Amino acid sequence: MKPRLAYGYPSTRVRRDGDFQCIHCHNLVPSAAAWAGVQHRNHCPYCLWSRHVDLYWAGDRLSACKAGMWPVGLTAKQRVDRYGRSIPGELMLIHACVECNGVAINRIAADDHVAILLEIFQRSQDLDRRLVNQLQAGGIAVLDAAEASLVQARLLGTK
Amino acid sequence: MNTNSESPDDPGVVIKKTIGTYFVLRGGQVLPCGISSLLRKDFVYSTADPTSMPRRVQSARFNTHEDPVAVGDIVRFRDAGDGNGVITAVLPRRNRMARRSAVPMPGAHPFEQVIAANLDQVVAVFAAARPTPSWHLLDRYLVSAESLNLPSLVVITKFDLVAGGEIEDDLFAAAKAYRKIGYPVLLTSAVDGLGLDELRQTLAGRVSVLVGKSGVGKTCLLNALQPGLGLRVNAVNRSTGKGRHTTTHSEMFLLDFGGAIIDTPGVREFGLWNVDAQVLAEFFPEMQPLIGTCKFGLDCRHAEEPGCAIRQAVTNGAISPYRYQSFVRLREEL
Ligand SMILES: Nc1nc2c(ncn2[C@@H]2O[C@H](COP(=O)(O)OP(=O)(O)O)[C@@H](O)[C@H]2O)c(=O)[nH]1
Ligand SMILES: [Zn+2]
Ligand SMILES: [Zn+2]
Ligand SMILES: [Zn+2]
Repeated sequence: MKPRLAYGYPSTRVRRDGDFQCIHCHNLVPSAAAWAGVQHRNHCPYCLWSRHVDLYWAGDRLSACKAGMWPVGLTAKQRVDRYGRSIPGELMLIHACVECNGVAINRIAADDHVAILLEIFQRSQDLDRRLVNQLQAGGIAVLDAAEASLVQARLLGTK
Repeated sequence: MNTNSESPDDPGVVIKKTIGTYFVLRGGQVLPCGISSLLRKDFVYSTADPTSMPRRVQSARFNTHEDPVAVGDIVRFRDAGDGNGVITAVLPRRNRMARRSAVPMPGAHPFEQVIAANLDQVVAVFAAARPTPSWHLLDRYLVSAESLNLPSLVVITKFDLVAGGEIEDDLFAAAKAYRKIGYPVLLTSAVDGLGLDELRQTLAGRVSVLVGKSGVGKTCLLNALQPGLGLRVNAVNRSTGKGRHTTTHSEMFLLDFGGAIIDTPGVREFGLWNVDAQVLAEFFPEMQPLIGTCKFGLDCRHAEEPGCAIRQAVTNGAISPYRYQSFVRLREEL
């Protein structure tokens, strides 16, 4: 469980980090919000890898691990519609650390490469079951083939 | 008429100084003293033959910037017998707290202003609330104290403001984390008297430097420890103010129950200027034993290097991620 923001510790959530070089594909990634369309650019838009820098909350920069986090697959935030039914909400990227068992879910940015996102979704159909179960136990459901049309609609804007 | 002819240069402690006058305590008596002009000189030694002993003094410069005597100094002095004395020597200091002073002339070297000497501990004071404690600032103070080889005590005062709430749990957790590193943490309140007996015990018989931003409750805490003490300290601080002359006056306050405290505006600026980024981890006691065990040995900056033992200790829970974050931030600030 995530602790709430600990009293007296600086909230670094709004901290602006500079441009960074992707730990995986080594492309230079501009951090400007205008490019990303999200407040925190936490993954590379070209290969979609992230880095294990946050510990409790997005942007807290409290993790000392700092290893690469690979894009495991996609999940959907659950939201409740006006009839009280749980429906799939925003599409999110699941990241898993290559060195420790850190996992994060992150918002997809406006300039993330759609073709790569679709590729990740494809690949995630063959994920190791143990990883899928471990994520499930942590409350993260990896979207599977049954949700292919949802993923396509969200990523390609088609109905 | 020297009444102390058998022991002309007695040792005493400087407990207060104002411009040109040093108040020396010995055997419960305080004697205002001037200093011997010999103490004001910087001797320039001949370097022609460094092996020749004794070294020959080539010349002497009159030094007007550096005060050779600081509060806390153990000095030898001569009682003139007329209610005044002369300091003739400053005994070697066990430690000292100093700051880099403003340069008096363009092109001159920055010099050190010793704020206090021969200290026993640093007492970092924070409020439980109003204002919210800054743990990063605390880590800064602790690192400064470590760099001076001084033990620290953390005092969280105004605890009455948070007793019985969610914040109390957070403070207990923070106190536990600092105690685990080895820093004693006292929870106090000037309002309900919490922790005051314990605080008296830790201050007794020691010379303590108080650090903490204004508003954290130091004055009230001192008044609660000893009636009127906070007011006296404040009167001195107000008269000295800020700026380059902060150390022309400073004072050590004697405690009824033994020991003394030092709290001057100069001390409030308690800085890190003698700490080098290269050795910062040495001043984090929980990181210190790991130095040299990283994959890159002593070259590791403990930032992003693979195989860093300190980062590993953070990820496996042995070192607090907040302390590590303070370490990273302090290194950027240095
Ligand atoms: N509730 C509560 N308020 C306190 C306590 N100590 C100080 N205060 C209040 O905090 C404010 C600042 O205190 P003061 O001692 O002057 O702070 P200083 O600037 O550090 O000397 C004042 O309004 C005090 O009344 C305390 O133990 N409990
Ligand atoms: Zn990349
Ligand atoms: Zn990790
Ligand atoms: Zn290291």
